[in-house]
Amino acid sequence: MTPDTFIKFGIDVLIIVIKIAVVLVIGLLHVAYATYFERKVIGHMQVRLGPMRVGPHGLLQPFADGIKLFFKEDLIPEKADKVVFYLAPVIFMASAMVNLAFIPFSHNFIIADINIGLLFIFAIAGIGVYGIFISGWASNSKYAFIGGLRSSAQVISYEIAMGFSLVGVMIMAGSLNLTEIVRAQENSIFGMYAIPQIVGFVIFVIAAVAETNRTPFDLPEAESELVAGYFVEYTGFRFALFFLGEYIAMFIMASLCTVCFLGGWTLPWYVLKVLPFLQHVPGIVWFLIKVYAFIFFYYWIRATVPRYRYDQLMSIGWKILIPVALANILVTGLVKILL
Amino acid sequence: MTFKKFIKTVTFIEILKGMALTLSRFFSRSVTIQYPDERRPIAPGFRGQHALAKHPQTGEAKCVGCGLCATICPSQCIHVFREKGKVSRYEIEVLRCIYCGFCVEACPYGAVVLTENYEYSDYSKENLYMTKEKLLSNWDKYMPGNKGEEYFKRFWRPMSGDFETPSQQPMFRGKRS
Amino acid sequence: MDQVEKIFETRELNVNMGPQHPATHGVLRLVLDLDGETVVNVTPYVGYLHRGIEKLGESLSYFQALPLTDRMDYVSAMSNNIGYVVAVEKLFGIEAPERAKFIRTMVGEMSRISNHLLWLATHALDIGAMTVFLYCFREREWILELFEKICGARLTVTYPRIGGVRNDITQEFLESLWKFTEEFPSRILEYETLIDQNRMWLKRTIGIGVISAEEAVNWGLTGPTLRGSGVPYDVRKFTPYDAYDRVEFDVPVGTEGDTYDRYRCRMIEMRQSNNIVRQCIEKLPPGPIMADAPKFTLHPKDAMFPITHPTKEHAFYIDEKVCKGCGMCLRACPVKAITGEKKKPHKIDQAICLQCANCLAVCKFKALKIVPGGKGLSEDKLKELAQAPLPEEITKAKEHLVEHFTFIKRGPRAPEGDLYVATEVPKGELGFYFVSDGSGKPYRMRVRAPSFIHAGVLPRLCVGHLVADVIANIGTIDIVLGECDR
Repeated sequence: MTPDTFIKFGIDVLIIVIKIAVVLVIGLLHVAYATYFERKVIGHMQVRLGPMRVGPHGLLQPFADGIKLFFKEDLIPEKADKVVFYLAPVIFMASAMVNLAFIPFSHNFIIADINIGLLFIFAIAGIGVYGIFISGWASNSKYAFIGGLRSSAQVISYEIAMGFSLVGVMIMAGSLNLTEIVRAQENSIFGMYAIPQIVGFVIFVIAAVAETNRTPFDLPEAESELVAGYFVEYTGFRFALFFLGEYIAMFIMASLCTVCFLGGWTLPWYVLKVLPFLQHVPGIVWFLIKVYAFIFFYYWIRATVPRYRYDQLMSIGWKILIPVALANILVTGLVKILL
Repeated sequence: MTFKKFIKTVTFIEILKGMALTLSRFFSRSVTIQYPDERRPIAPGFRGQHALAKHPQTGEAKCVGCGLCATICPSQCIHVFREKGKVSRYEIEVLRCIYCGFCVEACPYGAVVLTENYEYSDYSKENLYMTKEKLLSNWDKYMPGNKGEEYFKRFWRPMSGDFETPSQQPMFRGKRS
Repeated sequence: MDQVEKIFETRELNVNMGPQHPATHGVLRLVLDLDGETVVNVTPYVGYLHRGIEKLGESLSYFQALPLTDRMDYVSAMSNNIGYVVAVEKLFGIEAPERAKFIRTMVGEMSRISNHLLWLATHALDIGAMTVFLYCFREREWILELFEKICGARLTVTYPRIGGVRNDITQEFLESLWKFTEEFPSRILEYETLIDQNRMWLKRTIGIGVISAEEAVNWGLTGPTLRGSGVPYDVRKFTPYDAYDRVEFDVPVGTEGDTYDRYRCRMIEMRQSNNIVRQCIEKLPPGPIMADAPKFTLHPKDAMFPITHPTKEHAFYIDEKVCKGCGMCLRACPVKAITGEKKKPHKIDQAICLQCANCLAVCKFKALKIVPGGKGLSEDKLKELAQAPLPEEITKAKEHLVEHFTFIKRGPRAPEGDLYVATEVPKGELGFYFVSDGSGKPYRMRVRAPSFIHAGVLPRLCVGHLVADVIANIGTIDIVLGECDR
């Protein structure tokens, strides 16, 4: 290895480290303010105000929450499986954080631009469910146990539906690389895949809600049934990790939706034609706007609808979403071959 | 499944309607009252903390110590002690009181009232044990001027007007649809 | 297969739901046996909120026991008050005046609306629709504020009285209540937009907790829980009390007897109640608000003014000629100002006397005389003044005062016998059963609380369904543990 390549390698590493730092900061700030955003949005939808006390309009509320959780007494049930109990939130949180590496925030801002990005995100998200499941098991509590079981069943069935719903996108883009998928959308006549892949899009949205355990599919933590579900025995910072993980997972799902269906950091060409000055806006702005619109949609849904029952959730997943997603793949494939 | 029903199912129409409602509420004014900064208007005759009425002219307690309030109190939280010709102690255990207002109704002398004060939380039980002095100072604090007399006029019931038909009775005068 | 079962011995998961659980509406405890998610067995345990209200009622006079009923079903305290008051009035054989009846009907229906709002709020929240919860509370708050306007309390109102109501309503209250009734139907539409046709709501409620009409009657269900099964039983229609026979309303019934039907019944009931309130406002007659039954009601304060008004300075004096020396006043005097031996005339020490009139109330021989303006006078002077005939207003006031003291010290005396009176509270049929021994306190007070009976039907509704349906079923039978445990 010559010194030249060594320096080049060093710079590459440095760039990656900086990128990681930036993404990490974005991710954690996102979580902090996503909770605030959620409480405000849902509060106003319910003719309340949401947090108002800490700082102006409650803007410092997330930090107050964080500090409180950090200093809370850390309780561990006596008969819990201690090692696994410690491990579960870390797995959950880490798997959510790792996924941040594959999200293309902009055309040149991605930590790991790998060719199988989409598959990788699925794989890592699948690991996240172990965190939920083993936390439910390790707590040695019946409510947590039922919550963990529900979660594993739910994620298994909805991962399939979600994967299938994205196959249409893969076929259309001809790639698993997320950057490539965005570029393919930019060049397509529709500008974004949400239009031709409307069926896939709807399935993806439903499955994404289920995947992140949000209302109306928040059965693993169904408050009125299982109190808090799998993390009922967790306190303090371990609880905070679950909380962080959930919001990052939401961010991942919103980003995935943005990248695969809403055109990522690009704008459809017809929009640019009508309003050409918009192309001077940096791509990350569009990306974040789309992501937060999707996250707003998450909250909006939560404020509106009741919760499904466990068996109903399963039957929707297996009897409706998966067949429809398969049909969508078939149609997309046929159209692709014929055209 | 009829076609109409099918369309309704795939378009999520009823959920979209609900979402439209929540969104419209998102932009409407919230009903929250930020409690210590702003307060709800309290209706007159609110059954809050007690006070012992003072005579408007002499400024002395109206209570003669008959003990009817202590008798009627369902939670027995009023204690009256008398000594040679005067009421020496008149005490109310606020923590036991259920604010039914029976003491006001039982008192034939109009000596005890419930004021509009509802913010009297405290850290010690002693402070929530109302003595005669505290109850009398409550009267000055929460029933200043004419307020006390107004209170007795409206909320010291029953009056003989309640047993007959008064000339000016509230009646609905709005439109009859 | 047998071998597999031998290796993996399965047993039911025993889950303890409550008494601290967000969906058990207080402190209901359910012990569930779960086979996977399916409920195999449910055992409800009640009694965590037992305060002995029935027993307390036996040690309080009929008048004093009224606030206890507030604390039974605290969600619709007004209806419970009315139920108690109607029952006691029947026991006493008195009747409230028209105006009071209409006011009671009006506030009773307001209470029904507020109860159903809270029921809908929590039921929807249990099923997951949390916005409905806050929308319902917005209107409930409105009703509570109206309650505050008429009686000074929001939740534990203690507004009706035996023989009428506490105080008359104001013009301002009537207008704001009318405004509420005009606005309210559109608010019901808001809740219905969110859940009525929502596919998730339908899936969670249709076919859940089905109970047939016959079975529902056998279980003793009442109220909307029964009517959801198609039995049009409503105490307001069958044995009308207060002004229910003079207002028009329909009794909604369901057909299937499932959670959704019961939900629909209650939604329609809210609209009907709104109509009843409007009718009551329109038909509100002028007239007294307290029954003219001096033995059973508090006495008018202004009638006692000639004696009790603070500007009057009377002295009490015992007429030696009349006093038989029974010692009643001696015992009644709180400051021991009365002295004397048995069978000899007593004497009041004017320096100690508080002029509290306790002695006046107990003297059976009318030996106690009031000396107008006699405070501070000498004994001889009092003796002289006591012989003069009293002005008529003071004689009348004295009668009232004596009755008032007796009423409070002894309680209104009910005739001997027993009686059961049922009223329709929002949760179902609230019955009061009194056994009276002729004293001022009931010998036995028994409350037929709908919540208690409804809690008993939970196993019947839940077995075979899933865990989530247990929650829906707790919501649909609309129980309040304060009333259930009493």
